[in-house]
Amino acid sequence: MRIGSYELKLEKRLTLTGWEAAIISILAVIFALALFSFIFILAEINPLFAYQEIFSYAFANPYGLPLTINRFIFLLLCTSAFIIPFRAGLWNIGMPGQLYVGALGAFAVLFAFGVKEFRTSDLSPEILIPLMLIAAALGGAGLGAIAGFLKGKFNINEIVVTMILNFIAFWLVSHMIKEGGPFMNPGGRGESFELPPSVYAPLVMGLPFTIFLALGAAVLLYFLFAKTQIGYQIKAHGHNPAAARYAGISTFKIPLLVFMMGGAVAGLAGYHYFAAVPGVYKISRNYGYFGDLAFYGMICGLISLGNPLAAIPVALLFGGLSIGGRFVQGKLNMGFGVDYALLGVLMIALVAFQFFYRYKLVLSPSKGSYG
Amino acid sequence: MQKGFLEGIKRGETVIEARGITKRFPGVVANDRIDFEIKAGEIHAVLGENGAGKTTLMNILFGLLQPDEGEIYIGGQRVKFRSPLDAIDLGIGMVHQHRKLVSAHTAIENIILGHPRAGKILNLKRAEAEVKELCERYGFQIDLRAKVWQLSEGEKQVVEILKALYRGAKVLILDEPTSALTPPETKKLLASIGAMAKDELAIIPFITHKLPIVLAISDRVTVLRRGKVTARLETGRVTEKSLAKRMVGREVIFRIERARVERGKPILQVENLSVLSDKGFLALKGVSFSMHEGEIFGIAGISGNGQHELAEVLAGLRKAEGGQVIFEGKDITHSSILERWKMGIGYIPCERIEMGSIGDFSLVENIAMNFYFDDNFFRRGILDYRKMRKLAGEIVSEYGVAAPSLGTKAKNLSGGNLQRLILARVLSRRPRLLIANLPTQGLDVGAIEFVRNKLMEAKKEKAGILLISEDLDEILSLSDWVAPIYEGEFMGIIPGEEAKRESVGAMMAGLRLKGEET
Repeated sequence: MRIGSYELKLEKRLTLTGWEAAIISILAVIFALALFSFIFILAEINPLFAYQEIFSYAFANPYGLPLTINRFIFLLLCTSAFIIPFRAGLWNIGMPGQLYVGALGAFAVLFAFGVKEFRTSDLSPEILIPLMLIAAALGGAGLGAIAGFLKGKFNINEIVVTMILNFIAFWLVSHMIKEGGPFMNPGGRGESFELPPSVYAPLVMGLPFTIFLALGAAVLLYFLFAKTQIGYQIKAHGHNPAAARYAGISTFKIPLLVFMMGGAVAGLAGYHYFAAVPGVYKISRNYGYFGDLAFYGMICGLISLGNPLAAIPVALLFGGLSIGGRFVQGKLNMGFGVDYALLGVLMIALVAFQFFYRYKLVLSPSKGSYG
Repeated sequence: MQKGFLEGIKRGETVIEARGITKRFPGVVANDRIDFEIKAGEIHAVLGENGAGKTTLMNILFGLLQPDEGEIYIGGQRVKFRSPLDAIDLGIGMVHQHRKLVSAHTAIENIILGHPRAGKILNLKRAEAEVKELCERYGFQIDLRAKVWQLSEGEKQVVEILKALYRGAKVLILDEPTSALTPPETKKLLASIGAMAKDELAIIPFITHKLPIVLAISDRVTVLRRGKVTARLETGRVTEKSLAKRMVGREVIFRIERARVERGKPILQVENLSVLSDKGFLALKGVSFSMHEGEIFGIAGISGNGQHELAEVLAGLRKAEGGQVIFEGKDITHSSILERWKMGIGYIPCERIEMGSIGDFSLVENIAMNFYFDDNFFRRGILDYRKMRKLAGEIVSEYGVAAPSLGTKAKNLSGGNLQRLILARVLSRRPRLLIANLPTQGLDVGAIEFVRNKLMEAKKEKAGILLISEDLDEILSLSDWVAPIYEGEFMGIIPGEEAKRESVGAMMAGLRLKGEET
């Protein structure tokens, strides 16, 4: 294409630095917001005003910010849960199921120690909370292990298995918390019994301590992939399973391991949402909504190209926009679903802009016409 | 674009002239001021190793790439190709090494595909008659109504040539024309190429390592090395040796002296080993043999006779159905792949891209494939990448892997360089037993010589080497023992000195060695 005396050409990129990828992603976000402003214009709302409202509520408002952070923690954990198998070349779309079972695990600990009936326990929270965390991680890992085992042993498609396990786990939760279920709320509102305040997750500066779990997991995973022997084996399996096998890497153990690790992290996400977010502290009736939200972990993982550190800003952005979007929708009397529409446009733009990960536009002085 | 520069061109007139073609890719000058010229009725071969810039030049002449500098003249007129379509319109035809045909369609349908006259209404009958005439003129024998998937590689190539001719090509670019052909097919093709040249066509074969082919067909040859023209010669005045020297930049030894090594301790015993193929039938039917230190045990055979399965079962990649494998006195029949690497068995697979390397990994990470499990390279589960990089630097330079840096991804290496990398990685473990599966297949002259020398070095260091090759000359010149394999059985095991080309060839075709009844 020619612009004036300059020629615009598309060139294949041979390398992509982290900074270039970051700049491309930021451009994609700006593009998506510009595109979505048409929706606001159609609704006769000044887009600049709308975005100001969204961002200030999500990131600068004393009520909005904690909501954003809580959602960010949840999304980041789900993203890590997706990324671990992803780096091994496997697709974990079972985060919803894994986090449901994780939440059930955490509540099972309380149930086992009689917390449901007596609203208190002989055991101190210093013991109960770690036990809940371990149970949540084990629950998620256990569900993940099914998919990993079937993949490694019999090469059964992990996407199908994790998806089916999602349904099973969804109805398992329903069975446990609805009327007649062992975790049923004494008031029978279709939700689980509530946590006694003594085992509420400790808050650090008003935020659940799970933020350290989420950030710590991301940093640890980054280190795992960059430096460790097991990380090397996972990456080798992800890029070329046949070559990995040739190099002596077990094509049974790696799928099992990554799905157990991913499931464990998703289990912690379940703990976070149902036992650590202020104001929830129970498996709520609309738990399926959070299962759906977990799929955004997959999107964040894909956008950050499987890099656990890059996933941090992405998850923060998605968390913030979903909260801010929901807020303006109410405040400006817009139609239902603005938050999800915004996330959708953002997602498509980020994915489309990944084209520029492989190609770049080059502007050069034109060499004149051809003979 | 103007057409018909080449209409009515006569023998001896220049068809294509390229002047000062330069093409740069990041980090490499693929073509450096290349001049090239071809006349009507001439066969002008372009010769060069992998990575010498042949493919780039070919793509520039066909319009797939645009040169950074330089000019191309067709029939004396300056042209600039925007795409292959321009080149085709001007009468340039290309026969790809990796065929670009629709396999569910018939030969004739493929030939007329994309032809301007085949635009709206197909007149298959007329086209068939016209193509038949071309076939007769140049001696191509082919069933035009056969589906492409039913054709052999040689026949598919004929379809591509006919497609170009039917499109009116006056220039034919042939990419490795004989690489996938059997000897009789090669002979026929060469005759047809000769007939086309008589008909004022200009033919440019691009060839990597089949020097005798160059000598047999071409009138002139242009030799490329590292992007530059190193020689432009009349073929009548050159020999294979002098061509190879121009191509590689030094003398090439075509025959490697079999190193004399004292027969060492027994290293591998295989008893009555049988293995299933991927399709589930018995590919290896009860093979027994033994190998000693410092010996090359050569397995000669046409592919698909069980040698691949033998290599994989010894490497641990495949399960043994029956029999046993004893390595240095230990039964390893059921040992895992990793255990075998650790005890000193090294495998060089024939699938270099699919199995032997990880394309998205850097050279360092690729080399780590054989060292990530080595106690010297990790502590408490953390890999010592610094040490790994040091090792990689050493062996990359020792084995002459040409790459811009250690961070280069393996997928950006040429075939020969990739094989050097794999060889470097496996041999630097100093394996006691090396299984080399088609180690020189598809490589250029320089790389083949290099690989063979490295195998000889390993032998001198007392490694036992199981060499699998389809190149009978390679087996005969390197091996201490030759075992021709046919349908999963050895037809005999002969000492290397006594193995004769004819008798081994006959055994590869299923004739059992006399006096050996099993």
